[in-house]
Order: sequence, then structure tokens, then C-alpha cells
Amino acid sequence: MGARAGGSAVASLLEILDGAVADGALVATGGGELRRKPMAAVRALAALGRTGLRLATMLGSADVEALLGSGAVAEVHAAGVALEGLAPRWREARQTGDPRVLEWSEGTFVAALQAAALGLGSQLWPSGTGTDLPAINPWLKELADPHTGAPVLAVRALVPDVALIHVDAVDADGNAHVADDLVADALLARAARRVVVTYERRAELDPANAAISRLWIDDAVEAPGGAAPTACAPHYDVDSEGLRAL
Amino acid sequence: MIADLLTGTLAEEIAAAPQLRVFVPTTPATEVAARAAQRLGHERLAIAQGFTALAGPQRDWITDVFTLLRRGLLGVAVAPVQLDAAGRTNLSGIGPPGKPKVALIGPRGLPENNDTPSPLWYLLAAHSPRTLVERVDVVCGAAPSGAGPRTLLTSAGCFDLVDGRWRARWLAPGGEELVAQAPALGIEVPAGTPTREAPSPEALAAVQAVDPQGARRVEFGE
Repeated sequence: MGARAGGSAVASLLEILDGAVADGALVATGGGELRRKPMAAVRALAALGRTGLRLATMLGSADVEALLGSGAVAEVHAAGVALEGLAPRWREARQTGDPRVLEWSEGTFVAALQAAALGLGSQLWPSGTGTDLPAINPWLKELADPHTGAPVLAVRALVPDVALIHVDAVDADGNAHVADDLVADALLARAARRVVVTYERRAELDPANAAISRLWIDDAVEAPGGAAPTACAPHYDVDSEGLRAL
Repeated sequence: MIADLLTGTLAEEIAAAPQLRVFVPTTPATEVAARAAQRLGHERLAIAQGFTALAGPQRDWITDVFTLLRRGLLGVAVAPVQLDAAGRTNLSGIGPPGKPKVALIGPRGLPENNDTPSPLWYLLAAHSPRTLVERVDVVCGAAPSGAGPRTLLTSAGCFDLVDGRWRARWLAPGGEELVAQAPALGIEVPAGTPTREAPSPEALAAVQAVDPQGARRVEFGE
């Protein structure tokens, strides 16, 4: 693990992402809604000037808006995106079809990460049959369960080239700790080919309580305030003004 | 006071569902209702804060959410932008699927919530014909198959989805007129449907005890 404590977090992030993210890469961001979005990494990624990126996040907010604004993104996968109200660039993308948006449900997004973590090409999922989702997202196909005949969705694996995750703390052994909702980050860390964690602080914490084991973490970079303008418990809450300035 | 009527009713409903292990609040009023349900006797009910944050050290239960739903053990109250006569839901957008004229948040968890053995409540502050339609524009939640109870709470009253059709259980004051203004939902109002002005005194007291500042009122515009 290439942990880098202190120093220039921005320089470290730029260096790591420059090596990890190619044009057209599938980049997944952790957190959910307005919690723990990896905004320091998102800003570094935007500064690199990549093109054709595919962005995936279960529940997006400032991360999706910032990357859509950077022009780096050719495709977005999400089950929902909002700020404190509707998210303007997300709306525009969906209404114009540029860039392309693939709508998921929360559960199918989780199934896609599970499939990736297990090395499967797809995974069956019990919900979402009888909806319009398979018609608008080709990663979802409705079929009959081969054993029971019940209608199910076959969900194509979502294998991020890089996952960007922001956490409260990293302990002495390099495990990541989160003080509130982990959302799907532990699963995301198992699904991605490479995991870049940014963190608020180093802390003496019990590894038994870690949210994400160091087994899954490739790079860890100290980035205080790295989720702003989204929240990172227990350090700071949502910055409404910062959201409006995206 | 619609906020008290609907929040108190939701608290009664959750308290009357002892099989629930977890309730997932989606708004301040739904959290107040769940906490009031604990006071009404559902002491073991856990209340989630997001996907994985329960009281205690448990961390990684993202997949537990869906397991609990499929086993009938997780309660949630949602507010879709459209709900239709067959109980289908939409949070994606207005206009054709995949080509919205007005794009909204996205499907979120509606596909998982709508057709499970778990009880599901639709809590809508207004009984609006824009929200309550004959058929949703984008089917995010499929028509429920009847596995778990589906109940709609609005400013017009309380309605159950029975055999694929909405039926009034009780009406709020003025509810009959509101129902008539949103005819596409096809609500049946049986003769003798009672009017309800307030939740039970016990539920009202529980709601006031857990929410003395009235956080529940904001989403109802009170």
C-alpha cells in the first residue's frame, strides 16, 4: 500500500490518479447522497484533463455535478443524483442525452458490484422486473431464473478501473474507518481494480472496527476537508454554499 | 393539522407491524413516526440512518437492506413523484422512459421497495392529480403483486391497495373533494367510509414527545 501521510495531498493525488486513470476509464466514487463524496480526488481528476471517462456511483451529488462540469465524462451510471434540490448538470445530461446516462436502481447497482467482486459477468437480482429499467439500461436484462422460472434481472458486472473513496480516518495498519453511513463503499472496494482512499486524519483506532480492510486499499492519501462541500462525520456537515458554487 | 394526522397514523401503522426489524426514514416526518412507534410499543424496532448506520458497531449491511426487504422485515415510507392506479411508482422523470422532458432524481430504491413482502407506505403531503395518475411515465416500481401491504397516506386520507385497486380506509376532513380532484387514481370510496381528524391520543402524544419542536411539519408546509 502506498500510504502517504502529510505532505502535499494534492500533488500525491494528482500523481496517483495520473498513473491510475486512463482516458475512457470506468471511475467509481464512494459515499452516498451528500455524505463522504471524494471531492479532493474528484477535483484532482478533473484537473488531469482526461476525456471519455465513465463515472459510476450509486447515489451521486457533488461528485457527479463536478465531473460533468469538467467535461471529462462521456457516460454516467447512477441510481439517483441530487444536491439539496435537483442537480442541474445531471438533469441537463438526461434531458439532452449528452453525456449518456444509464439509470440503475440502488439494488441493481449493488448487484453489479457484487458480481464484480465475485468475478462474475453478471448476477441475478430479484427486483426491477416489470419496470422500465431494462428498457433504458442495457446492463439490466429481464429473464427467467433457470431453476425456478421466476422473472429476475441479470445484472451485468460493474468493474471500476479505479474507486475513489473518502473516509474519516486511517489507522496505524492502514485500515479505513468511517463514522457514519458506509453506504456501498466496502463492496465498492472489493469490486474495483484499484482503490484510492483519501482520509481526514491518522488515528489510533481498533482495526477490528475498520469499515474497509487494508486488504482492499491500494493508495491512501491524507486530505483534510476532502469531502467538502459534502459532509464527513464527525468533522464537518454539508456546505450549502459550496454546493451552490459547484 | 395534516402533519399530526399523517405522522401519527404512520406511527400507529409501524407499531402495528411487529414483524418489522428496521425502519428506514426518508424524511423528518417518517423518522418521527418511527421513533413514536417505538414509544407505542415497538421497542425492538431499529431505525436506520442511511444504508449502513444502525446504532452499534455494525458496519457493512448494504446487502442486508435488500435481504430484510425480501423477507418482509424492513419498513419504509416513500414519496414518489408519480404513483398510479395500479400502485406503480416513478422517481426518474416526466416524459418517455430514457428521454425525459423533465429529469428528476432517478429510480433510487423504488424498484426494490415496491414489490416485496415488506410493508410499504406512500406518504404524500398533497393529494395532487399531478402526482396521482392513471399510469406513471416511467415505471420505477412495478405494480405490487400483493405480497406486502401497500398504503397511501395523503392530505385526503388513508388508502389501501386491494386486489390492484386503491380503496379508502378513512378520509381526512375535506378528503372526498380531494379524491374527486384526482380521479385518475381510481380510488374506491365505499359507503360509510369514516372521517378521521386526528390520530389516536396515544399516537399523538408519542409524536409530540419525540418531536417537540415540530420538525415533522416542514414537509407538509405547516
